[in-house]
Amino acid sequence: MNFAIPRLMPGDPIDLLVIRLHGQVDPSAIASLRKAFGLTQHNILLQYFDYLGSLFRGDLGQSITFYPSSVTSVIGSALPWTVGLIGISTIISFVLGTLLGIIAAWRRGTWTDSLLPVTTFFHSVPYFWLALLLVFVFGVELNWLPASGAYSTETTPAFTGAFISTMLYHAILPALTIIISSIAGWLLAMRNMMVTTLGEDYVTMAEAKGLSRWRVMTSYAARNAILPSITGFALSLGFVVGGAILTEIIFTYPGVGYTLYQAVQDEDFPLMQGLFLIISLAVVGANLLADIAYVLLDPRTREDR
Amino acid sequence: MRLPLSRKVVVGLCLVAFFVLLSLIGPLFMHTDPQATGPDVLQAPSCRHLLGTTQTGEDVLAQLINGGRVSLGVGALAACVATVLSVTIGLISGYARGAVDGVLSIITSVFLVIPALPLLIVLAGYLPNKGIESVAIVISVTAWASGARVIRAQTLSVRRRDYIEAARASGERGHRIIFAEILPNEITLIAASFLSSVVVGILAEAGLSFLGLGSLTTVSWGSMLYYAQNAQALLAGAWWWFIPPGLAIALVGTGLALINFGIDEYANPRLRGIRRKMPPSPPTPAAAAEVAGDAVLSIRGLSVDYLTDADPVHAVADVDLTLHRGEMLGIAGESGSGKSTLANAVARLLRPPAMVTAGSVRYQPRSGADPVDVLGLDSAALRAFRWADLAIVFQSAMNSLNPVLTIGAQFDDVLRAHRRDMSAIDRRKRAATLLERVGIPGERLRSYPHELSGGMRQRAAIAIALVLDPDVIIMDEPTTALDVVVQREILQEILQLRQDYGFAVIFITHDLTLLLEICDTIAIMYGGRVVESGTAAELHAGPMHPYTRGLLDSAPRLRGDLRALHDIPGAPPDLSALPAGCAFHDRCSYAFDSCVDTAPPLLDRSGRRVACLLHDSALRPEPVPEPVRGRP
Repeated sequence: MNFAIPRLMPGDPIDLLVIRLHGQVDPSAIASLRKAFGLTQHNILLQYFDYLGSLFRGDLGQSITFYPSSVTSVIGSALPWTVGLIGISTIISFVLGTLLGIIAAWRRGTWTDSLLPVTTFFHSVPYFWLALLLVFVFGVELNWLPASGAYSTETTPAFTGAFISTMLYHAILPALTIIISSIAGWLLAMRNMMVTTLGEDYVTMAEAKGLSRWRVMTSYAARNAILPSITGFALSLGFVVGGAILTEIIFTYPGVGYTLYQAVQDEDFPLMQGLFLIISLAVVGANLLADIAYVLLDPRTREDR
Repeated sequence: MRLPLSRKVVVGLCLVAFFVLLSLIGPLFMHTDPQATGPDVLQAPSCRHLLGTTQTGEDVLAQLINGGRVSLGVGALAACVATVLSVTIGLISGYARGAVDGVLSIITSVFLVIPALPLLIVLAGYLPNKGIESVAIVISVTAWASGARVIRAQTLSVRRRDYIEAARASGERGHRIIFAEILPNEITLIAASFLSSVVVGILAEAGLSFLGLGSLTTVSWGSMLYYAQNAQALLAGAWWWFIPPGLAIALVGTGLALINFGIDEYANPRLRGIRRKMPPSPPTPAAAAEVAGDAVLSIRGLSVDYLTDADPVHAVADVDLTLHRGEMLGIAGESGSGKSTLANAVARLLRPPAMVTAGSVRYQPRSGADPVDVLGLDSAALRAFRWADLAIVFQSAMNSLNPVLTIGAQFDDVLRAHRRDMSAIDRRKRAATLLERVGIPGERLRSYPHELSGGMRQRAAIAIALVLDPDVIIMDEPTTALDVVVQREILQEILQLRQDYGFAVIFITHDLTLLLEICDTIAIMYGGRVVESGTAAELHAGPMHPYTRGLLDSAPRLRGDLRALHDIPGAPPDLSALPAGCAFHDRCSYAFDSCVDTAPPLLDRSGRRVACLLHDSALRPEPVPEPVRGRP
C-alpha cells in the first residue's frame, strides 16, 4: 500500500513549482533566473530530467533568497532546529496525550471526564492566537521566558553547557504552545480506542484472571488500543520535517517552516523544491517506520510476510 | 432511535447556535458599519462600543458579528465542498475497488501526506482574486482527503455485508446500491467529517489571514486577528481587540467538536458516558446462607439491575442456585434471559451500569477453611480469589485471548500474579503440561492466538483456566462458536478434565439438549429468573415448565428419534418491559387467566423447582388447560 506514495510524491511538488515558474515570476527576471538556476530549457519535461539529473548528484541548486547559499546548506542549517523543537514537542505531546487518554478511559465517570472538553477547547483555538497570548503573558508581561529566537544572541552556537541551556530555555514557550494545541488529538484518539478495547472479552478475562489493575490496563487494554495511533504518530513525525510554519514565524525560530514561508514569499522555487523534496522523503520514511512499528507491535500483521 | 442528547451535545449545540444566530441576526440589530473608521481610537469597552474600538476606530463588536458571517460562511462552504469531494471519492473508491480504487487511493494518500498549511500557502499564492469564496475552495482542496479515506474504508466494509451482496446478486443498479443501501450506513461518518471540516475551514481561514494570504479586505475573524497583530494590539494593551475573535473561533470549534462526540457516542455505544451511581439499596450482607453439605458455591437471592436513566432493569432477579463440589450445573436460556449477567455477577465482573442489588454468593474452599463471601471481598482479596478459586472460559477464545501476547505469556501472567515464588522455568513447565493436557504441543506456547485454529484456541483457553487448579470454572457458551465436530471433542475433553481435576462447572448455553447430555443438574432461566431446575434426568423425563418444554421441542436432537421441531412463538422478552404476572405468559400456549396478573413463585418440590402456576394447586384451573396453539 505505502509503496505507491514514494513513487508519486516527488513528482507533485515539482509540478507545482514548474507551474509557479511560468505563471508568477517577473518576466524580466526569468531569463537571468533560468541561467542562474539551471532552468534554461523551456520544455518542462527536459527541465524535469535536468532536475532529476542534478538530484542524482546530490545537487539541489541554489537558493534565491539566501543567494549564494546552496539549497542544501540552507536546509541543512534549518533542519536541526526544526527537528529538535518540533520533533521533541510532537513526541512529548503524543506520549502525554496518549497517557492521559488511557487514564481518561480507565477512570471513566470521574473527574477525568472533564479532560475531554478542556483539551478540545485548546484544540479548537487558532494556534497562532494561543501562541501570541502565551508569548504576551509569559514573555512580555511576566517576562519569565524568552519570546523569540532559538537561543540567546549573546552566545554562539556550540556544544557548550551555556549554549544548550539557553537553547532549551528558548524552546520552552514554543514547545508549550505546540503541546497544548496538539495534545487533544492524541488524547481523544487514545481514549476512544481504549474505551472500545475495555469492552473486549480479553480485558474482562484479564480481570477475571486476578491480574493487577496495572497489568490489565497496560498489557491488555492500552497495548491493543495504541495500535491505531501508531500510524498517526509516525505520520506526524514525518510532518515534523516540514516544520511548524506558524510556530516558527511567531517565535522567529530559524527552522524549516520559517524558511519555507520565506521561500514562498520570495518565489524562491529551488528552495521550495528542495524543501518539498525533503518533506516528502521524511513523510515516506515515516510511513515506512509506521509499517515497521506496526509489524513489531501487532503480531497479526507478521503472518502475511 | 434515541438521539444521545448528553450534556456535551447540548452545550455544543448551544455554543454553535449562539454564534450562528449572532452572525445571522446580529447585523440586523447592529447598524454600525464594521469598516467605518471613527475618532475613538483604541477605546476600551464602553457603552458606546461594547467591545471597544480598533486602532482606526472601528467598532470591534460590529466587526466580530460581521466577521462571524464570513468566517462561519467560509468554514461551512469549505466543509460542504470538502465533504462532497470526500464522499464522492470515498464511495467510488470503496465501491468500484480494483484499478479505480487504486488510482483514487493514491491521490487521496498524496493529499493526505502533503502538509496542509504549506500546500494552502502555495495554493493561496495562485489565487487570481482573493475573494472569500476562492479562499474557501482552496481550503476544501486541502481538507477532503482524511474524510475520503474514512468513507472508503467504511464503504469497503459495508459492501461486504450480506444484504449488499444480495442486492448486487439480484442485479440492482450500482448507483441505487450506493445511494439507497450504502450511503445511509455512512450518515454518521459523513456528518462527523462535515463538522470537523467546518472547524478545519474556520481555522484555516484564520491561519491564512494571519499570514496575510487571505481576503484581507473582507472583515473576518481571521483578518481581525491579522490587523490586531499588525497593530501590536496586545502590547498596546488592547486585549478587547485581540481576544474576542480568537475566543469566538475556539468556542465554535469546541461546540462543533462536542456535537461530534455525541455523534461518536451514537455510532459507538461503548463511548457513552457511564454514571457511577450507588444502587438504590445496598446488597444485603450474606444472610444466614450456610453452605450446605458439599456445596462449593451457593448463590442466594441474587439480583442484578442495570441502572438506566429510566427505571432500573432487573436483569437477574432473586436467583438461588447451589453448585456442589465436582458438579456440572447447566444454565439454559435464550439470549437476554440473564444467564451471562448471572455468571458475571458471580465472578464479580459486572461493569456499570450493571450492579448487584441484593443477595449473596458464598464460596466454600476445598481446604475446609471458612466460607468466603464473594460479593464482599475487597479488591486485594478478590484478585487472590479470582482464577485461583474461580476461573472462566468465555464464549469465543478469539476474543478472550489477547491478540498481541503469546499463549505462553497469557499463562505466565496468571502464575506470576498468583504464585509469586514460582520460578520462570517452573511456570513454563506448568503451562506446557496443561497445554499438552488439552492436546496442544507445548511449543505452541510461543504462538500468538491468531496462529491457532478456533478449536485449539478454545482448548488453550480451557488450559489457561486450569492453570491454578480452581474449584469452580464458569463456562459461558464455551463451544457455541465452534463447528459441531470440534464442539463434541471439546465437550469430551471438558468431561475428562473434570474427572481428573475434580472442579465444578457452571455451564451456560442456550442449547438445552447439550446440557441434558453433559450436566448433573440444570436450571432454566427466563426473564432474569430461574423458572425450573432439577437433575438432568428429571428435566429430560418430564419438563414441568412450558418454557422448558418449548426449549426441548425447538432443538434438533443429535441422536434419537426424528420429531417435528417447534419454535417457541414470539421473541425473548425485553427485560426493561417484562409483562406483568408470569413473564412467559404472552408466549405460553398453556397460559390461563391468573398467569396475566400473578407472578408465579418458585415452588420447591424436594429439590425439583418450578415457577409456573400450572403446578400451583390453589390457582390451577381444573382441568389443566390444553395448549391453545395445537401443541403435540
